[in-house]
Amino acid sequence: MHEKEKDLISAFLSGGMSRRGLIKRLGALGLTAASAGTLHNLMATQALAAEFDWKKHSGKSIKLLLNKHPYTDAMIANLDAFKELTGMDVTYDVFPEDVYFDKVTAALSSGSSEYDAFMTGAYMTWTYGPAGWIVDHNEWINDPEKTNPMYNWADMLEGVRKSCAWNGVPGGELGSDDAKQWCIPWGYEQNNLTFNKAMLDKAGVAVPTNMSELMEAAAKVQADTDGIYGIGVRGSRSWATIHPGFLSAYSNFGEMDLTNEDGKLSAAMNTAGSKAFHADWVKMIQESGAADWSTHTWYQVGTDLGAGKSAMIFDADILGYFMNGGDNAMAGELAYAGFAANPEAKAPTPNIWIWSLAMTKASKDLDATWYFMQWASGPEHALFGARKMDFVDPVRNSVWEDEMFKEKLNKGYPGYVDMYNASAPGASIKFTPQPLFFDMTTDWAAMLQRMVAKEVPVDEGLDQLAASMNKQLAEAGLR
Amino acid sequence: MSVQADMPVMRRSSRLSRTMLPYLLSLPALLVCIGILIPFGTAVYYSLQRYRMSQPWNRGMNWGENYLNFFTDPDFWNTLQVSLTYAGLTVVLELLLGLGIALLLQKRSRVNNFVSIMLLMPLMTAPALAALMFKLMTNSNFGILSYFMQLAGFQDFRWASSPDTALLTVILVDVWVYTPFIMILLLAGLRSLPTQPFEAAALDGVPRLEQFWRITLPMLSPYILTAALFRLLDSIQQFDIIYAMTQGGPGDKLMVFQVEAYLNFFQSTNVGRSAALLMILWAITYVLSNIFVKNWLRLRERARGEA
Amino acid sequence: MDHMSPLERILRAIALALVVLFFMFPIFWIVLMSLQTNETILRSPPSMAFVPTFKNYAAIIAGRLDSNVASMSIHFMGNLMNSVILSVGSVALALVLGVPAAYAFARHKFKGSEDIAFTLLSFRFAPPLLVLLPLTLYFQSLGLANTYVGLIWVYQLICLPLILWIVRGYFEDISPDIEHAYRIAGHGWFATFRKIALPLAGPGIAAAGLLAFIFAWNNFVFALVLASADKQPVTVGALAFVTASGIQYGQIAAAIVMSIAPTLLLALWAQKYLVEGLSLGAVKG
Repeated sequence: MHEKEKDLISAFLSGGMSRRGLIKRLGALGLTAASAGTLHNLMATQALAAEFDWKKHSGKSIKLLLNKHPYTDAMIANLDAFKELTGMDVTYDVFPEDVYFDKVTAALSSGSSEYDAFMTGAYMTWTYGPAGWIVDHNEWINDPEKTNPMYNWADMLEGVRKSCAWNGVPGGELGSDDAKQWCIPWGYEQNNLTFNKAMLDKAGVAVPTNMSELMEAAAKVQADTDGIYGIGVRGSRSWATIHPGFLSAYSNFGEMDLTNEDGKLSAAMNTAGSKAFHADWVKMIQESGAADWSTHTWYQVGTDLGAGKSAMIFDADILGYFMNGGDNAMAGELAYAGFAANPEAKAPTPNIWIWSLAMTKASKDLDATWYFMQWASGPEHALFGARKMDFVDPVRNSVWEDEMFKEKLNKGYPGYVDMYNASAPGASIKFTPQPLFFDMTTDWAAMLQRMVAKEVPVDEGLDQLAASMNKQLAEAGLR
Repeated sequence: MSVQADMPVMRRSSRLSRTMLPYLLSLPALLVCIGILIPFGTAVYYSLQRYRMSQPWNRGMNWGENYLNFFTDPDFWNTLQVSLTYAGLTVVLELLLGLGIALLLQKRSRVNNFVSIMLLMPLMTAPALAALMFKLMTNSNFGILSYFMQLAGFQDFRWASSPDTALLTVILVDVWVYTPFIMILLLAGLRSLPTQPFEAAALDGVPRLEQFWRITLPMLSPYILTAALFRLLDSIQQFDIIYAMTQGGPGDKLMVFQVEAYLNFFQSTNVGRSAALLMILWAITYVLSNIFVKNWLRLRERARGEA
Repeated sequence: MDHMSPLERILRAIALALVVLFFMFPIFWIVLMSLQTNETILRSPPSMAFVPTFKNYAAIIAGRLDSNVASMSIHFMGNLMNSVILSVGSVALALVLGVPAAYAFARHKFKGSEDIAFTLLSFRFAPPLLVLLPLTLYFQSLGLANTYVGLIWVYQLICLPLILWIVRGYFEDISPDIEHAYRIAGHGWFATFRKIALPLAGPGIAAAGLLAFIFAWNNFVFALVLASADKQPVTVGALAFVTASGIQYGQIAAAIVMSIAPTLLLALWAQKYLVEGLSLGAVKG
């Protein structure tokens, strides 16, 4: 590597130069922003090495259990940097997402020490944590001996970080003072609107800003263009139907899944407000949702938008992000907007999905594994992933302040950064953490399906759901 | 190994071998499977516990409570009903269709042989992947089958997405995948039937339809029973197709045993309930196959008597 | 059977054509999809007008796939190899264990024979989930986790009962007279089994073996729960094309075609045994 460039980057790292200045100066030397990024990363790695004994676990080997995902791809692409930095070896098993969590449950429940760390969602840790399969990561985060000084835990978005922390008490508040950090956020998804701009324009419809506008816009745009439907949301008989758009809108109206009175949980889906919201949601799907909504998962919602069969989706922002690229017919045609369903609400309050990393309690060397964890969730790798790979949405403030990353988003994904900024302050997990999470959400989805199919009226369905939920809570000793 | 060299050994031990031989022959197979009994025993133990992995503090023996709860649990009765309906319909449809196809292909010819092998291709497609493909083919936008339905005048046929047609759709996929299984077993059976009774019947001028009812069917019945038994055991345990197409929905329309037990185990980590459900499924299959095997033995005797 | 009326001939031809259409059309459509990218697969209405591409196959064989967003590495060929090892190994073991046992049940009515036979059958209907999860614990301690040997053993749950019960039927169909005659001529039990019984039951054994092979090939839950990524069969491997950035239908279709091919070749090769009833009828009469 050329000395001049190295010096420049060193100057930047030691704080003597702004990022923009660095890129400009490097550009003068004939380096593109992208290769400057690589160079910066390499130098940053060296800088990391200077202040912390990264080689402490040199020669050790750890094994990861990973989901086939763009985040995984980004990590693997950068993994050599970690191996060089620490002298450790990392092997991994990657499983398809369709079967990934089954594999995790099988591996963890058997008490196997094969995998030292794995990818997980925050919801899953509500099972894994109490089951005793994972550790409280605070023990490592707060230990300066074990965590490098540049890790900067406070840089993690607060709502996201807290959503991954729970005291283990059913109904306990996420991120409370006594909470255990069950997993380390890696990347996350806010649920907002992604829309086909041309279709909305053609129908003369403005980007909807609340629930009734959304219903109206969906109906109007569907009537205007042949062979499409207005709004894509998930509908399969699965917990995954509840957590994206549905719960984001639901909680924007201040509605809750459960109430907690002195540790006694009760279902809260049959309040008047909830019934009104459900009625709207069901009507929206009946009128302007997909004909085969009840089999729609992440994939169908995305595919239809990407192929130009739906005008909007109310789902993960990164699903909309993916559909704006690749060989999708609508690549480059999509735009984004934050969405607050409640006209009274000041801002969107998206429920979020957080892909995280967690160490297995059965691991034979947690300290060495933590070296990988802090690197993979550290600021440098986050920056690398965000700039060069598809590591969206990053969980670190510093990455969202990065000009290069924002430029990339602004260029290819119109409205994405604004959407993000509008909804990030309110973004967190809106569910009540408790052991029956999957039972509750799956039953909820099944009831939605029956309501949309007009097999049961909304009011009655919700009363049934709440009654069934209360019975299950009582049986599990939670009520 | 030369046959001659064996002989003295065989002769010397012939009395012993006559009594021991069948045990010696069948024991290795049994031993290999016996290891499975240990995890099976563990599962029985789990089914007698209150055991949810996300609440380890609540774990403890509750003896028959998991089972007793089923009696008052409408979800359980729904599951039982759906499973039996699904298994009954698929087995009957596949038997009729499989027998019909086997009869069409009965005559030995190059074309028939080739067609019968080609018809095995659905069976060679892993059900989980076949279901994924059918999900696309029945997609309301891009699906070729939905397109055909539209051409046929069914504008709004929603396949697995509608509670009215979901069962029909998964049965269709099941029939597509597994009919070849029955077809090939029955074809092999048909072709191995002795020719004499048919020749005699033809000489006596017995009409062909009557030949079918009075000779073919009774002689084929052991094969039919074997095929039906294996299909029934698989069908009542259906998972891949239903899970991939609808995950048990819409509503609870397709919540069969395995899907429910799978969700209980892998998502709710409610091991106790999941194991109890599976034990009931096992008991049902045990009784069913017992009935089948008894009849199978009886029918074999009869078929042999007629031959 | 040879004197069909012309009307019956026509009706039979029509029926057969319908059967072929019903069973082969989805296969035909999958083959078409395997020659397309998502861009042409996901069109509405679906159409057969497209420029065929071998991109999907090339990507699968080369093990690199440039998908929607990023390029990813895939191990489909490794999955294919695992499927071959697991299926061939399981069927071979099931044949070695099952055929002699089937012979014993068919020829020797011994004390407890029906009970043993039924017990062996009952393994077939133990719901896989029921045994799999406790099994993960035992496999860890036995050192069988992540091994082909361990998996092949568990696969016996699928293969052994099938082979045992189908082959048993075939053995029972063969008249014992020929074997008696051969024994009286001074041949030992093993020679009789090998020279007379086995060849006569050949078609049945081949058919049962092939069916067991197919069922082993289509399984995926055993390997998924009990083994790590490098031991997974094609059924799990093909799911890798269901990615966060979209389902790669073209690649899944190509994967299905490639996973059917070995079994189909095997079936075509064994065709004679599969569907020829041999001269069994003559023997029996």
